[in-house]
Amino acid sequence: MPAPPPTQDELYREAADTYDAALERLARAYEADAEVRRDLLQDIHIALWRSFEGFDGRCSLRTWVYRVAHNTAASHVIRERRNKSQTLVGLEELESVPAHRDGELAADRRYALERLLELVQSLKPLDRQVILSYLEGLDAGSIGEITGISPGNVATKIHRIKNLLARRFREGGRHDE
Amino acid sequence: MTNESLPNDRLKRAWQNQPSEGMRMSVDEIRRRAGKFQKTIYWRNAREYVAGLAVVVFFGFMFWLSSDVLTRVSCGLVNVGVLYIMWHLHQRGSSRNLPADLGLASGIEYHRRELERQRDLLQSVWWWYLGPMIPGGVAFVVAQARTSPGHLRHMGLSLAFFALVVALVGWLNHWAARRLQSRIDELNALEGQR
Repeated sequence: MPAPPPTQDELYREAADTYDAALERLARAYEADAEVRRDLLQDIHIALWRSFEGFDGRCSLRTWVYRVAHNTAASHVIRERRNKSQTLVGLEELESVPAHRDGELAADRRYALERLLELVQSLKPLDRQVILSYLEGLDAGSIGEITGISPGNVATKIHRIKNLLARRFREGGRHDE
Repeated sequence: MTNESLPNDRLKRAWQNQPSEGMRMSVDEIRRRAGKFQKTIYWRNAREYVAGLAVVVFFGFMFWLSSDVLTRVSCGLVNVGVLYIMWHLHQRGSSRNLPADLGLASGIEYHRRELERQRDLLQSVWWWYLGPMIPGGVAFVVAQARTSPGHLRHMGLSLAFFALVVALVGWLNHWAARRLQSRIDELNALEGQR
């Protein structure tokens, strides 16, 4: 007899056990203010739990979790942009901005992470999804599945991200371990 | 390992090894907060309806209080306009619930849909927001201005001011819709090259 499909609660527990830390990092990348970030993370968890009512296995659990989390966070960004008239940039624009001259300070891991967060938080939602997925170690195929961006565009964006990160964090590369 | 991939790998590791703030919640807690979230949406919608009804009550009271036909007609028209706007907001779902396909829609699909929803609301502002308020607004301005000394000049200025405000609100909405359209076009270009 086939095993019964997992319940909404079971699916949520599995997702939370596996991706709890990744979701926290994702919320950190979407919201700088600690208080608001707690609310955003809570919203993501609630959205995730509720979404599992309709989970039918059409995509992997990982893809589902990231889509729900990114889509919830994207709504948050759209809402915040309306309230704060915040200007976000694309990867293409960031590439043309010269890197800071304080590269040697990137040797400090905490400082490097702060700068990385600043960079991620300044990006438009879709570019933010790509760079976050890249930092989480997802491959191009998975990034395309989560974001809906064509494989060619994902490859271009990853190439840009690699160059951008290498250029901005080059100096501290040899000393931070 | 190339020089280029070295900082990237290190950054990935640093990113993935960030200390956790430990905000995990139990399923019961999630369920409780999801219920609270629904109640918040319910009360937010209720507040919008109460605000609309307060306007209706105010102009209803003025309708009842006034003996002037044009003032009464203008109050009636304002209320029809307000009720139409409230009905429209209700149809659109001003404070929306959680979308059912949150896990099925890719980032582009979801983001584009959100932007298109906002753009459509802004683009159609003449039909559901400004338009319905114009007859009542004009009638009300005329009704109030015609009783004042030098009423023609007063009426002209009041109508010009009203028209200016309406045109400005319309233009701002149109401008915002165009900005959203350019973001939608960017998303379409990203998806188009599949």
